[in-house]
Amino acid sequence: MESKKILPIFSSYKTNPVFYDEIFKNDKEIRDTYGELFKLFNEYKVDDFKLLNEKAKLSFLNQGITFQVYDKTTVEKVFPFDLFPKIITADEWDHIESGALQRSKALNLFLYDVYHKKQIIKDGIVPIELISSSENYLDQMNGLEPPGGIYNHISGTDVIKHSDGEYYVLEDNIRCPSGVSYVVSNRVALKRAMFGVFNNYPTCPVANYSENLLEIMQSVKPAGVDIPTCVVITPGIYNSAYYEHSFLAKSMGIELVEGRDLFIEKDFVYMKTIYGPVKIDVIYRRIDDAFIDPLEFNPDSVLGVPGLFAAYKKGNVTLVNAPGTGVADDKAIYTYMPQIIKYYLNEEPILNNVHTYHCSRPKELAYVLDNIDKLVVKPVDESGGYGISIGNKLTKEEIEKVKAVIKENPRKYIAQPIMALSTHATFIDEKQCFEPRHVDLRTFTLLGKDKEFVLKGGLTRVALKEGNLIVNSSQGGGSKDTWVLKR
Amino acid sequence: MLARVANNLFWMGRYLERTEHIARYLNVNYFSSFDAPNETSQSRQFVLNSIVRMVDDDPEKETVLFEKKVLFDAALNDEKIFSIKSYFRMARDNASSARDMISTELYESINKLHHYINNYSIEYFTERGLDEFTTYVSKAVSQIKANIVTTMMHDDTYAIIHLGINLERATDVIRIIDTKYKDALSVQNETDFATSYEWTILLKCIQSFDMMKRHYKKAPTSKNTLDFLILNPECPKSVMSCLNNAKCQIDYLNKNHHSLSSAFLIGKLRAKYHYKRINEIEIGFDKFIQEIISELDEICISIEDELFKH
Amino acid sequence: MQYHYKIKYVTHNTYENPVNNALWQFLIEPKNNDSQFLETSIFNDSYNTLVNKSINGYGFNTFKVTPKHQITDIIFEAEFSLIKNNIEIQSQDSKTYKKDIEELNSDPFKIEYHSFLKDTVLTTLPSDKKNIFLFDDKKTTFENLKALNKWVFIFLYYTIGATNIRTELKDLIDYNKGVAKDFTHLFCAVARQHNIPTRYVSGFLNQDQSYFGNSEIHSWVECYIPNIGWVGFDPTNNMLADFNHIKIAHGKDYNDCASLKGIIFTVGKNTTKYTVKVTCQEYIQDKLASLNHISAYKKAL
Repeated sequence: MESKKILPIFSSYKTNPVFYDEIFKNDKEIRDTYGELFKLFNEYKVDDFKLLNEKAKLSFLNQGITFQVYDKTTVEKVFPFDLFPKIITADEWDHIESGALQRSKALNLFLYDVYHKKQIIKDGIVPIELISSSENYLDQMNGLEPPGGIYNHISGTDVIKHSDGEYYVLEDNIRCPSGVSYVVSNRVALKRAMFGVFNNYPTCPVANYSENLLEIMQSVKPAGVDIPTCVVITPGIYNSAYYEHSFLAKSMGIELVEGRDLFIEKDFVYMKTIYGPVKIDVIYRRIDDAFIDPLEFNPDSVLGVPGLFAAYKKGNVTLVNAPGTGVADDKAIYTYMPQIIKYYLNEEPILNNVHTYHCSRPKELAYVLDNIDKLVVKPVDESGGYGISIGNKLTKEEIEKVKAVIKENPRKYIAQPIMALSTHATFIDEKQCFEPRHVDLRTFTLLGKDKEFVLKGGLTRVALKEGNLIVNSSQGGGSKDTWVLKR
Repeated sequence: MLARVANNLFWMGRYLERTEHIARYLNVNYFSSFDAPNETSQSRQFVLNSIVRMVDDDPEKETVLFEKKVLFDAALNDEKIFSIKSYFRMARDNASSARDMISTELYESINKLHHYINNYSIEYFTERGLDEFTTYVSKAVSQIKANIVTTMMHDDTYAIIHLGINLERATDVIRIIDTKYKDALSVQNETDFATSYEWTILLKCIQSFDMMKRHYKKAPTSKNTLDFLILNPECPKSVMSCLNNAKCQIDYLNKNHHSLSSAFLIGKLRAKYHYKRINEIEIGFDKFIQEIISELDEICISIEDELFKH
Repeated sequence: MQYHYKIKYVTHNTYENPVNNALWQFLIEPKNNDSQFLETSIFNDSYNTLVNKSINGYGFNTFKVTPKHQITDIIFEAEFSLIKNNIEIQSQDSKTYKKDIEELNSDPFKIEYHSFLKDTVLTTLPSDKKNIFLFDDKKTTFENLKALNKWVFIFLYYTIGATNIRTELKDLIDYNKGVAKDFTHLFCAVARQHNIPTRYVSGFLNQDQSYFGNSEIHSWVECYIPNIGWVGFDPTNNMLADFNHIKIAHGKDYNDCASLKGIIFTVGKNTTKYTVKVTCQEYIQDKLASLNHISAYKKAL
């Protein structure tokens, strides 16, 4: 579809041929999916957008849909929200969904294997070093049978659209992937702000995430329990993701507990209620492995429950996700994903992996050091967009510095070609108009005993700074509602 | 319900109620004094002193009070634990800790007021904002409490919050009565104690002036005012009414417990005032104040022990 | 030969300020295995708290205590009685280290024993000390480990109070003074450096002999030697682990085997004093019965 008249708010929208722009085929032509949306947006003036934008922001602030950042004191921030949604057609979504599910299942089988027979290592598919030098591999998990055989009940898969128009996976998050509360609240905000636009597209709902999560939790109840008591455990109100924790508990209708609300007796877990102790069977824990049990892991942790791991090991309580999943979302494991998928599922990977150079391998290290300006260098074991260097943004001195850092501990780093994240129309406050900004998409996949679910939608994250490729909220990113169209 | 969350809800109720009372007290006490019939009641020092004694448990002995400081301390001073800002922050922290248990509407209304208070200009407040600020706050708290009633299940969550609200209201009403009683005493050489203007201010501080007039169809006196605010079960702000409500709420919680000694204590206190005459209170007023405060304290300690610690 | 042991463990903890909601975990119960059989096991505290028998993350038995009272002073007492067999090692089965290297470096071997091949914070040799002790290719692996045992024994001086539970090897090697756990950590580090799976073992030591470390919970190592299996070395005393060594648990280092872990919320000073009493006598009466015990236990496994 061709739109003759480009709106004033799009007048300065300049696509860059290096990147795939999700809205415009070129400077004039709009992609089919967005044609209708574009027509509807015609009815809005710049001031309308400005007003809607402010209203949405205020509504997030008033509802307390915020995250906290530490800058001497705690500051509450609204996760910036953009009114222009990302639309995914039914066909495109099928591809993403089946790919995300495939990866989650393969990772789950991989986790079972590395905590049992380690056949994939014995068969020479992945090297032993990946587990023996991983700080996230927990020896205590060896031989443990998690209910239903599930480790990564909740996976967050980050995908991007490259300049070739194909989806690539950037990383798999299977420790405590966050962001799903924003998927739901973004949808609520967008429906309110632009109902006239929203109801023109047959969009899949996202509010069903919580009921599915609860079913998944119930499906992995410990043996011998009829109706399991499930809870969400949070580090507390000062945690940056507290809103999400309370959202999850509330929308599932279960208790949100802190470590101090729980105690262990005879290796069973109880919560302290006004009517006395109540036994708990399944815990969705939003506390990192190191902090769940000071007797077993970090002894200084006050967030966890002493004795929780013994209760888990005895099969009296289920932890969601299982401890020790971090070994598989290490960026070094990521590079083996195509082989891991083939090994366990005997399938070709549905979603592309970004080619990765391992600095631990001498030949690849040499290539990385010679081509740092064309690569993204990442530490293998950090999340949140920290410690990332993007080659084409570095000065000569910075390049030398990065080289020195890599040489010091090559095993710690991997490098990937700079991926050209697609751009998407984003309302820029200061300029009062739409401009292209880079986006990615986090999908949420749930695995339970004989049950699986992929949230039809996801968190489209947008880097608000011009030219920036890092979309994490801690690095100044925002988000968009994501519409998956029904057939 | 988690014991910790019950504790949070109880204190959320208490701090909400306390915020509202302080806001209204500041407003009414300050503005009603301008047209008081006697000279002392109009004096700024007299009014400021009354405010300091009401809000601060342990006021510094200062000979001269500065209006801007007293009002700032009571309303927006972060560093004073008795300021509206501090109390409301605690109400909101408690609400946050129990966020999954309370309605979205309730949390949003609490959060909105939190942002209003936090963003309120201190400069504007001390110059001209007293009325605007305190009126907004007391209305917003009423709105919040309305949300508790209309957007939440009337179950144990509701009972705990209202137990907090009612015990706090009883405590606050007694504090305000005590303050104004002493104000009336201190101006008795200018105006008769029994018919002092301070009784009118007292009733207005507790939003009960119109109700009292309707009930007695008379000007307020020491006797009918105290009777109305302490013993009249039909006045929703009276100590008696608070105790009646608290009894209903603790009985609700006791359904699952059967043997809460806090239920016994509330019942006992309620019976005591049910059969009390205002004359008996008037004779030993100071003793009455001390007694009822320690009785309410005892109830709160017992609730804490039985419900919040497990 | 068999031995009958009686072990008494007493800990006295005092706190300057009252402690609420404390939790203590004791990893002190001897485990059952080929060479030892636990007859009785009793654990009590001075408040008569209900003691929870539980496990640690590696499946070893623990006692967990959470008193309901406020506490400033508490005594824990444990008593065990146990039958111990002498341990015989088929040392003639060991090949030269050079011959073993192939197996030690094979993937299946490294995969099987990876947990006990990796360095932990407490068992990492400083980068300039990786060659602090080298194996002799011509000797058997077993002889090499015995030499290492002796080397550690000579290299470190047994000194109480010179180190603490967080002391790392870079400091230990500088001071060369320490207690059993330090001897054990140094041994672990060097053996793992040579690809020998090595685990940290905690346990009790017979007090009839004047061994180093016998007044406390002791520690030693177990190495996996191809063709032989797990063999215990006690570098603190330059001996092999034998009937004098009663095993409690094993792990990668001290942190996995700490005999007492407490989660306590209090401020101010606290003290822990503990004593261990181990008495041993040769076991003669009804020898057959005890053997039946052990074989019955083995069957139960």
